[in-house]
Amino acid sequence: MSDHQEPSSSSVLVEDARPRRRYGTLARFWSQRQAKVGVVLTVIVLLFAIFGPLLVPWATGFTATEFVGRPFQPDGLFGTDNLGRDIWSRFLAGGLRLIVYAVLATALGLVLGLGLGMLAAYLGGRLDSLIMRGNDVLLAIPQLVVALLAVTVLGPKGWVLVTVIGITHAPRIARVVRSATLDVINEDYIRVAQMYAMPRRRILMREVMPNITGPVAVEAGLRLTYSIGAIASLSFLGLGIQPPAADWGLMINENRIALSLQPAGVLLPVTAIAVLTIGTNLIADAIAQASANPNVGGR
Amino acid sequence: MLLAGCSGDSSVAAGTASELRGPPVKGGTLRVGFVGGGAADTLDGAIATNLGDLARAINMYDTLTTHDDDYHVQPMLATSVTPNADASVWTAELRTDVKFCDGRPMTARDVVASIERIIDPTDPKNGAAGLATLAEVVATGEHTVEFRLRSPDSSLDDVLAKYDMTIVPTDFDVANPIGTGPFMLDRFIPAQLTVLKANPYYWGEEGPYLDSVELLNFNDTDALINALLSTQIDVAAQIPAALSEVIASDTRMRVLECQTGVWLPFTMRCDVAPFDDERVRQAFRLAVDRDQMINQVLSGHGRVANDMYAPLDPAYPDFPQRTQDIGQAKRLLAEAGYPDGLAIELVTAPIQAGVVEAAQVFAEQAAQAGITVTINRMDLTSYWAGYLEYSFSQSFWYTRNFLPQANNGSMPDSPFNETHWDDEEFIQLVEQARATTDEPIRNQLIQDAQQIMYDRGSLIIWGFADQLDAYQAYVGGLVPNATGLPLSGFQLHRVWIGELV
Repeated sequence: MSDHQEPSSSSVLVEDARPRRRYGTLARFWSQRQAKVGVVLTVIVLLFAIFGPLLVPWATGFTATEFVGRPFQPDGLFGTDNLGRDIWSRFLAGGLRLIVYAVLATALGLVLGLGLGMLAAYLGGRLDSLIMRGNDVLLAIPQLVVALLAVTVLGPKGWVLVTVIGITHAPRIARVVRSATLDVINEDYIRVAQMYAMPRRRILMREVMPNITGPVAVEAGLRLTYSIGAIASLSFLGLGIQPPAADWGLMINENRIALSLQPAGVLLPVTAIAVLTIGTNLIADAIAQASANPNVGGR
Repeated sequence: MLLAGCSGDSSVAAGTASELRGPPVKGGTLRVGFVGGGAADTLDGAIATNLGDLARAINMYDTLTTHDDDYHVQPMLATSVTPNADASVWTAELRTDVKFCDGRPMTARDVVASIERIIDPTDPKNGAAGLATLAEVVATGEHTVEFRLRSPDSSLDDVLAKYDMTIVPTDFDVANPIGTGPFMLDRFIPAQLTVLKANPYYWGEEGPYLDSVELLNFNDTDALINALLSTQIDVAAQIPAALSEVIASDTRMRVLECQTGVWLPFTMRCDVAPFDDERVRQAFRLAVDRDQMINQVLSGHGRVANDMYAPLDPAYPDFPQRTQDIGQAKRLLAEAGYPDGLAIELVTAPIQAGVVEAAQVFAEQAAQAGITVTINRMDLTSYWAGYLEYSFSQSFWYTRNFLPQANNGSMPDSPFNETHWDDEEFIQLVEQARATTDEPIRNQLIQDAQQIMYDRGSLIIWGFADQLDAYQAYVGGLVPNATGLPLSGFQLHRVWIGELV
């Protein structure tokens, strides 16, 4: 019996292992409906944002800053904006910079947050307290207020937007990273690496970081959503991307006085920003589910 | 002359609209909406700045002279304001029938106290700059006041006509504001609401017809327009030009459109590079397509300008209209040492409707001449903090005649010399014009000064914006007015509420 059972038991193990490999984090992510919806929504907006500028003026007949008629007239596919420019052309040309800035700001926040969070958790003691209390101070100040202050002082330049939003993301990411790192650093493989006198940087990069990607990816998705919102908000307030550049946030502000008359000038960019933020949020949620719950999508 | 270009109640209204007929009706409350106002809102007409302040100043107080609907100077509290031979002493004869809203009669002592209050060196009011040449003001009789000037000023009657040259009693206290205007204060909540009621002692021949006026502050234009369309207000002061047609198409509404001398210039500081070279300044002026500016920025509601201000001044010259000439602009830039064009930052802020929009249109137009404009759109607080320092920026001015305008913005000692303009020949001409009471000779001097502005000035004056207001069809008495101030120069004593037939 026992001879008979052993191979069968091992075959069960092998069979169990196969679906687990097949349903890794990525598979568990993709098996969720919200992930598919999120990816589809995000890709649609990304396609508009990335390829839109290439299509103008070939597909629309007008450049994004060309005056095609008087303001708020029904000329062209979606009419003209507050200065008589083609709304469709400006929409197509207006998303790329927003997305590039948002991605760069999120990346900067990730780099800073990962570094600070892992160091605080790994080193512990006074340095941990120092980093995390500093974090608390930064977290107490609303993100948009810091951004407004920086943009007012340093001017509404692209690098200022990216830097200030990236920096304000860092404490939020650092807190998540620290927490995730604390879970990992007591694992045996970390102790083994320490015993072998592996350099601290290598332990963090090679042993810790790969094991905290789940929560970090969730946080990155959330921060990307916030970055999009923050940059669009600053542009709406006139402190982000500067006119006459086409930009979705700016378009909302420029055309809102004619919402009842020429709604496309507001509705197109609002819809795009809303769809993009919902899409990235759904993706972040799906990543969270996939990394936290091994059973998601298993069977 | 001017009225021919203005369109009043009926011309912009929809064809099937009910009409307001008959003589003015007495009674009722007029609800006036406008955008702006804040904690600094004031009841002191002498320091009025925003639209609400202006509405309160004009309706609670009066001035010695005033501008009529065609922007001609007319007597108001004074029956006459006349200069001596060299315009160094002016004599104002006051009306004898004027009473303040508390029933006390207005005398020469009140006028002297009011003017001294305006030029108070420890707390100068808005009008102090216009009275910079005033040595003393003296009551020479119960109803006669003499203005003795340090240097002649042939435009003093024009200066005294400005809405902030308010006449108040000797014991004026802003906490209990007393004036001679058609209305008096009932209730005031800064940034929200002002209620004015009819002044029972009003001396004027017309009005007020209304029992009271409510001035309502709005935070933005959307809310203002929505309030008008939903009849929460009766009149909306200053509506966006781009929306005037759609509002006028509503049969319940009327749009009042007036040609004015309001201008939104680009300012080039001529004491710093590159604008210290007049060829660069002229090149920038030649880069502008003025017709397109009017169409894009003002939705066609304005007139092209010729780089000179004061279009309603009798001395406004008829020089050839400057038009876009990209070739000449490039040649001038090359001669000035910029053969490959130049890059410049344009500081802008939403200081007035159309300003930020004009910056964008200019950037697009100037690119054709090799001028790369980077727009720096500031918030209002930051903009005003650096005002008068920007190399290349924008401004806005209401209607003024030439000499008051030059005094305010184009002389070395002007309080708002945005371009640091300091042209010796121009200064001499203006000073001569100030000292000349003979009108034809003064007009010639002004035209010579305008020629300098036209040939080498530091302002790009591309257009004069029309004033656009909207109101319910049942409101009467709003007529075209050239001051550039909303709602017929805020002269609400002429306004009445009737019934449509």
